[in-house]
Amino acid sequence: MSYQEKQNIVNIFSGLLVTGIFAWMVYLRHLSGQFDLTEDFRAWGILFLIFIGVSVAVRVVIQIIFHIINAIATREEKVPVEDERDKLVKLKSMRNSYYAFVSGFVVSVVGLALGMPVHWIFIAFVVFGLIAEIMDNGSQIYYYRKGI
Amino acid sequence: MVQSRIQNNIRQLRFQAGEMTQQELADRVRVSRQTIVAIEKGNYSPSLELAFRFSYIFKTPLEEIFSYEPGDET
Repeated sequence: MSYQEKQNIVNIFSGLLVTGIFAWMVYLRHLSGQFDLTEDFRAWGILFLIFIGVSVAVRVVIQIIFHIINAIATREEKVPVEDERDKLVKLKSMRNSYYAFVSGFVVSVVGLALGMPVHWIFIAFVVFGLIAEIMDNGSQIYYYRKGI
Repeated sequence: MVQSRIQNNIRQLRFQAGEMTQQELADRVRVSRQTIVAIEKGNYSPSLELAFRFSYIFKTPLEEIFSYEPGDET
């Protein structure tokens, strides 16, 4: 398995882990009455900003740990140079990820038009954001394995 | 498996060039070894610039490295 494939698998699991833990903690606080996510949209804004910050920080740490473990396991310290094929794979994967997120946005807007509560939009953003990320990393694994 | 219509004989040229390894070739044309593997398997068609780098390294004209197998286009 190449470095890029392993990195994408780590990205998928770290995305699931960070989003899952954060969502669970927010849900528990919502249940305890610290904030009401069905009415308080300012809380959603603050939570999204905190989530972005926490997510970036945790992923950086996970990437560093992955690189150290990979270097020990494979005895290759150098990270492979990104070449034209890597750039093409990333570009195509980002396109797939974009389609997934836009589909989620459309579904959310349709839901809103059909009378769904507004806070479902924010939940849909989190869910489809995660799906889009899985699509991005999954597509990269697919293109690296099957060719482009 | 996505197979390209562009075929190549890079593997053969590597062996003719003193059994050059995939890593050595990758370093010389400035791509990763995985990209050389993908090109040799026909899973990736290199850019024109990379194709010219192969041509320069092997001192062989492009048409002797790469060949195109047309499909049903007329």
